[in-house]
Amino acid sequence: MSDLGIVCKHTNVSALNEETIEDLTELEDLEEVYLQLCNEQKQVQAYLQVLGDQQGTIENKMQLLQRMRPKLQLIEGDASQLGGMINFTCSLAENVSSKVRQLDLTKKRLYQAIQRADDILDLKFCTDGVQTALQSHDYEQAAAHIHRYLSLDQSVIELSRQGGESSSVETSLALLKEAEVQLKALVTKRLEEAVAADDLAQVERFFKILPLLGLHDKGLALFANYLSNQLASKAQDNLMLAITSDIGERRAPMIFVDTLTLLLEGIARVIETHQPIVETYYGPGRMHRLLSHLQAECDKQAQSVVDKFIQNRDYQIKFQVVQASMLKGVSTEKIVLRELDAVLSEVTLMNSRSELYLRFLRRRMLADFEVADATTADSVSQEHLQDVECLLKECELSRRMQELIGCYIPMEEYYMRETVNKAVTMDNWEVGQMTSSMVDDVFYIVKKCIGRALSSNSSDCACAMINLATNLLENDFREVLVSRLQVGYPSSTLADLQRGVSSAVILMQSSLQHGKIHTHIESQEQAKNAYLVTLNNVDVCSENISTLKKNLESDYSKLLNQGAGSEHAQAKIDSCLMDMVHTSSKFKDLLQEGLLELNNSAIKSQVKPWITNFLSFSHNIEEEEFGEYEANDPWVQQLIVQLEQLMAEFKDSLSLAIFDALTSLMMNFISMEMEKTVFKCTFSRLGGLQFDKELRSLVAYLSSVTSWTIRDKFSRLTQMATILNLEKVLEILDYWGPNSAPLTWRLTPAEVRQVLSLRVDFRSEDIKRLRL
Amino acid sequence: MSTEDYDYLFKIVLIGNAGVGKTCLVRRFTQGLFPPGQGATIGVDFMIKTVEIKGEKVKLQIWDTAGQERFRSITQSYYRSANALILTYDITCEDSFCCLPEWLREIEQYANNQVVTILVGNKIDLADKREVVRQRAEEFADTQSMLYLETSAKESDNVEKLFLDLACELIREAKQNTLDNSENSPMPGEGKSISYLSCCSLN
Ligand SMILES: Nc1nc2c(ncn2[C@@H]2O[C@H](COP(=O)(O)OP(=O)(O)OP(=O)(O)O)[C@@H](O)[C@H]2O)c(=O)[nH]1
Ligand SMILES: [Mg+2]
Repeated sequence: MSDLGIVCKHTNVSALNEETIEDLTELEDLEEVYLQLCNEQKQVQAYLQVLGDQQGTIENKMQLLQRMRPKLQLIEGDASQLGGMINFTCSLAENVSSKVRQLDLTKKRLYQAIQRADDILDLKFCTDGVQTALQSHDYEQAAAHIHRYLSLDQSVIELSRQGGESSSVETSLALLKEAEVQLKALVTKRLEEAVAADDLAQVERFFKILPLLGLHDKGLALFANYLSNQLASKAQDNLMLAITSDIGERRAPMIFVDTLTLLLEGIARVIETHQPIVETYYGPGRMHRLLSHLQAECDKQAQSVVDKFIQNRDYQIKFQVVQASMLKGVSTEKIVLRELDAVLSEVTLMNSRSELYLRFLRRRMLADFEVADATTADSVSQEHLQDVECLLKECELSRRMQELIGCYIPMEEYYMRETVNKAVTMDNWEVGQMTSSMVDDVFYIVKKCIGRALSSNSSDCACAMINLATNLLENDFREVLVSRLQVGYPSSTLADLQRGVSSAVILMQSSLQHGKIHTHIESQEQAKNAYLVTLNNVDVCSENISTLKKNLESDYSKLLNQGAGSEHAQAKIDSCLMDMVHTSSKFKDLLQEGLLELNNSAIKSQVKPWITNFLSFSHNIEEEEFGEYEANDPWVQQLIVQLEQLMAEFKDSLSLAIFDALTSLMMNFISMEMEKTVFKCTFSRLGGLQFDKELRSLVAYLSSVTSWTIRDKFSRLTQMATILNLEKVLEILDYWGPNSAPLTWRLTPAEVRQVLSLRVDFRSEDIKRLRL
Repeated sequence: MSTEDYDYLFKIVLIGNAGVGKTCLVRRFTQGLFPPGQGATIGVDFMIKTVEIKGEKVKLQIWDTAGQERFRSITQSYYRSANALILTYDITCEDSFCCLPEWLREIEQYANNQVVTILVGNKIDLADKREVVRQRAEEFADTQSMLYLETSAKESDNVEKLFLDLACELIREAKQNTLDNSENSPMPGEGKSISYLSCCSLN
């Protein structure tokens, strides 16, 4: 076919050229066109040939087609027949499916009808069943029937009443209602009787029946009544036993703790035993109600124990005496501290037991609510949470314990103060000891009292005692030490002696709270010792407070690990303990003040004349005197001996740290005084050398008595010696400015000039001309 | 708590009869809410809020004490270390006002003498139930040289002001104290009168 196309194109081209052929005039052109046409003719002929060849096959095909015609007519008929059939099937299917739908609906209704019939049958069955069960006292069966009836779809029952078959249903219903009321009353009464008769088997039997009748709350209340009765009689027996019988000496001071423990542990055991039956027959979320009922009994019994405790231990009376004596400042009516001690231990343990018990209740109720509230709204579980907290916070047990603790705190404070005062009064120092007995005693007491408060398991109680103890240490006890330091350190000079006496008078006049000072200062030696011991005491106190804080922190965190308290309580305790850091630093300040006083009265006044003595020996010397000095040291050796003696007085009496601090203060003073003295002196070249030697000896000695480097304190003096030791004025420039190299000058240029001018042989013009 | 980031730390203790609204005031200030059905406080509650005043961070440690009598000995133990006391009464409750002298006696007995005390009349939103007229309270506060402020924890009236004013006052006092101390401190090496010696005459 494509060949055909090409030919057509060619013929077309020739046809287009037809007119141009007419116009041709040149032979040459004509020939060319002719040739072209001949070619085309040939092509066309060839193509015609091809076409002619195809004619046979086409004709064959045509014949084949002719033969197929009748068959095609057959197919057309079949197709239209098929179409009809499909249409028919389709409408048939639609028809069937709508029937199926109808059938479904019918089936459902049928089931409902059957259900209803069942219900009605059940209703009838229940009615009959209840009657017979009631007659045969089979309350479980009766209750099961009523439960069945109560769980029937009430709307269905209502519908059936409106429906045709009303009359028989109506009577059944009426009968059931009646049976329900009857059964409820009966079972409740039976349970009440069982409770009254203390019959556990019957109690449990009817307790299980009540929830079937929807009487959950009633059941729990009556069951709690039963358990309460049990608890009450046992608790009363225990309390009776506690106050009448003769228990061993050892447990006697703890008898009320033991009684309360028995009560609370008894309740806990009852809860543990009966929780499963409640959960099984009443479902989760019911413990709160049961425990609320039980708590009422617990409160009643706990109150009896607390009342007897108060009566038996004269708790209230002791409290009043304590209050009166704390207000007046002096105790009129003495309480036997040992007795108080025992009662305080007892009451904290009682509170601890109560806290543990309340925590147990919280855990139980929360766990129970957690199961029940798994699917309810947040607001409901929030409300339940509040219910739990409310029960625990407002129960009488909590309230009474809070009252006991409220009285305990002032009594513990009184105990702490009284024993601390005793320790102060009986303060005793033994030769060879750094501190006196009261420091250890006081911290032992404070630790004991706070420890006891901690053992109450109440963070508020612990915090209060931490506050009170901190206050006692920081103010009252610190005052004791302050007043001892106020006596001052007596020194040898007459003026200082007088001062020591007047201070002693002040000391005797000053009325220290409660305590009297027995330490009568008989001799100066004793007064000195007392002062140094007090310094040691102050230092140890500061340390002890830090240690106490750390120990209490770890004690409390141990309690926390046992599940006591909360994060909030921890924060409170931490915050109260933080105050101890401040208290500790106040003792450090006091130590510093005491040291300064010691430095003023014992060191400065002694050391000053020894140093001034420097001026009695000329440093404007020649060879001869220099040689003499060398043979016979005029000053420094004596100074060293004197210092040695002076410090020996302190070395053995003060703790190492305080002694070092005192030495440091002394060195500051020496270097300052030396400086002042040197400026009052004049020097020759050899005098400078002499001073340099003297300073070296002094520094070497002082270095040998301290554990730290003292060169720094003497660097100004050393530099002065260097200057005084120069050959000539200009030599200073070898050490100054860019040449100073390893030396950091502590002297100002003005001071350097001043030192230079101490040399008698240096000319002031040379010094003035110096460029520093 | 090791890297404490504040310029000042003050302890503020709230005291006053039960039910006057101490807890509500603290919750309003620290959490910005008025708690519905607020139960009585047991023992002492503790909260911290850091505020900024004139560019300085002030950490307020607020101790909310229980007003009920049986907690008195616990709450008293907090007076001594308090920098400020907020003495609260309820303007709709004459009783709570009448107890104020009793509270002042407690303060006198237990607090340190530098403590800043502010008297607060709470619940002013209940204007129609007012039993204590403002002037009476103001006069009372005057005679005791206390600051006075009326608040409503419910309507958030003056609550912020109460704590911020207090913080300002405490900063002022703290600055005054350090100034005084630096004047008194002995010159190095001079060993001037030592504080504990300054009380006794030596000749
Ligand atoms: N209308 C009104 N009611 C308030 C306000 N402040 C507190 N209340 C209510 O007063 C009651 C007691 O408030 P609390 O904050 O618990 O009182 P509290 O002083 O902490 O009491 P204690 O903890 O027992 O010492 C609650 O019912 C509060 O809702 C107030 O500003 N306006
Ligand atoms: Mg409160």
